[in-house]
Amino acid sequence: MGKFLLLAFRNVFRNRRRTAMTLLMVGGGVAALLLGGGYFRFMSQGLRESTIRNGLGHLQIFTAEHFKRDEIHVLDTGIENWRRVASVANAAPHVRGIAPRIEFYGMVSNGQKSSVYMGSAVDPAAESGLGFNPNVVEGTNFTSNSKADVQALVGTGLAKSMNVKVGDGLTLLAVTSDGALNGVDVQVTGIVRTGIADLDARYMRITLDSAQRLLESDRVTNLVVGLDSTANTDAAYDALLPRLRGLGQEMTMKKWLDLATYYKQVRGMFDGIFLFMGVIVFFMVLMASVNTLLMAMFERTREIGTMLAMGTPRAWIIGLFMAEATVLGVLGAALGVTAGNLLGMALNASGLHLPPPPGYTTPIAFRVLHIPGIMIGSSVMVVVSLAMASILPAVRASRLQIVEALSHV
Amino acid sequence: MDTRDALVTAADVTRTFPLDHSAVTALDHVSLAVKQGEFLAISGPSGSGKSTLLNLIGCIDKPTGGRILIDGVDTSQLSPSRTSALRREKIGFVFQTFNLIPVFTAAENVEFPLLVQGIGSAERRKRVAEALENVGLSSRANHRPDLLSGGERQRVAVARAIVHRPEIVLADEPTANLDTHNATQLIDLMRELNRSLGLTFIFSTHDQRLLEHTPRIVRLTDGRIASDEFSSSKPGVPNDSFSVVGVD
Repeated sequence: MGKFLLLAFRNVFRNRRRTAMTLLMVGGGVAALLLGGGYFRFMSQGLRESTIRNGLGHLQIFTAEHFKRDEIHVLDTGIENWRRVASVANAAPHVRGIAPRIEFYGMVSNGQKSSVYMGSAVDPAAESGLGFNPNVVEGTNFTSNSKADVQALVGTGLAKSMNVKVGDGLTLLAVTSDGALNGVDVQVTGIVRTGIADLDARYMRITLDSAQRLLESDRVTNLVVGLDSTANTDAAYDALLPRLRGLGQEMTMKKWLDLATYYKQVRGMFDGIFLFMGVIVFFMVLMASVNTLLMAMFERTREIGTMLAMGTPRAWIIGLFMAEATVLGVLGAALGVTAGNLLGMALNASGLHLPPPPGYTTPIAFRVLHIPGIMIGSSVMVVVSLAMASILPAVRASRLQIVEALSHV
Repeated sequence: MDTRDALVTAADVTRTFPLDHSAVTALDHVSLAVKQGEFLAISGPSGSGKSTLLNLIGCIDKPTGGRILIDGVDTSQLSPSRTSALRREKIGFVFQTFNLIPVFTAAENVEFPLLVQGIGSAERRKRVAEALENVGLSSRANHRPDLLSGGERQRVAVARAIVHRPEIVLADEPTANLDTHNATQLIDLMRELNRSLGLTFIFSTHDQRLLEHTPRIVRLTDGRIASDEFSSSKPGVPNDSFSVVGVD
């Protein structure tokens, strides 16, 4: 067996130029998959963490009613005794903190012009404790020494639309929990960018106290749970769920992935593109390798005839060609993994940024993650591809008529 | 034809090849018997059927009519795998163009038939050394074919043909690509192996130098045996050689 593999190995290097071309092609395919997969993984991991850090949190606690029906009045499916729920949740393992939230909407006016806003009311201290800090591009986040009665952070698009800057005032209108119309004057303390243009055009953030006054309710929409690590989401969920029973209202909980619709869409798109890349590389390697191995078979027809004349079993000839293809695949994969990682390191060191994609407002860093799973997967794929490519030439070689093969020129 | 104790028997063998809408007859009702230890040349002009007869005896081709028997076994009745096993165990081949595996050294080329037979590495090393010693190439064991002369390559091919101790060595025009010096050396080597190891050599040749050393010469013309000559003055003729008397 050792000599047989040695023969396969030496045969690979008989035509060095052709082998070099094949290795370049196989290695290039693997490197492309590594770079593409590494970049997509960086993007999706970055999106995942930014989605969580931008306020989604790792888990969110709601009343069960929240998902059973639409609200008739604002916050009528909200959490009533939310401080107690937060206290219970905070004691669970892996929980780093709890941030209460109110999601609401209404009209905003600058005195001359009105527009729709999507409001998010937060407890600044809890948010800050969990690292959920908004991306303030102008002005400041909520401060305790502000002279304003009600501070507001406004999305860049809404600020532009309402023609306001830091220090200007706005009036927020909303329907209270009793169904009445209420209003409050706010002072813009900062202008924020969420990264999503559509949200920036409607975004309004005020403090929890202000929102409860505006909506005339003590309830909150949900409690956002921050964990020590995204990897502990499932464990924390399992630990928390039993603790939420017997707290008055029936509670339910959602994991970040259940709520991150946009993340799932983007991840699905990346997975689709990567799969498509993989299929292209697979067939590229397959077709080019069939050609290379067929050429090798034709060149060695007389030699194969000689081996068959000496009584070499035809299965050995098939095995020889498949072994040669496998050697080529392994070498190509090793070359590709090395080149892909080196190129990835070079690109990461270059500090390259890509223009913002549609719907985004900030350039995206071009970074490539080194993912062992992709290295192994793409390597296995090209080795399998080459082994498959060798089947046709191998079977053809094994079926050669000995006399004809020996007279082959 | 007396085929008792014959190692190789060709009985009324015909081989035709299809060509467009007709057929070319390469061998036409040939009968021949070869005894163990013979040194036999098949001679004749190009197209006379020499190589076809060797191919049939070597079981790398099948006759259209008649039978080839090796050691009494009708090769036409064997399955492909049994035929392959028969070649592996009983026949050694020497080709006109040497047909060595270029990526193997001389020793590895000689070792190949033993690998195919599944012989263990220690035994392989011993037999390879013996075979190379027999052909006088021990010092060139680790050279690849492209670093050997034509004569050396053909001697490696002979070593490869005898290393697995076959009963028959078939050589198709073995001296055709050699100069006089190397051809003479190869002829002497083949005769020596025939005498010392008792190997049966059957070869096709045009080469008069080789024929001068050959005790039995079968001459083919147009696919038929024109003559089957014995020369008792040349050493190596078995006492009870066979003559061709026609079809059984």
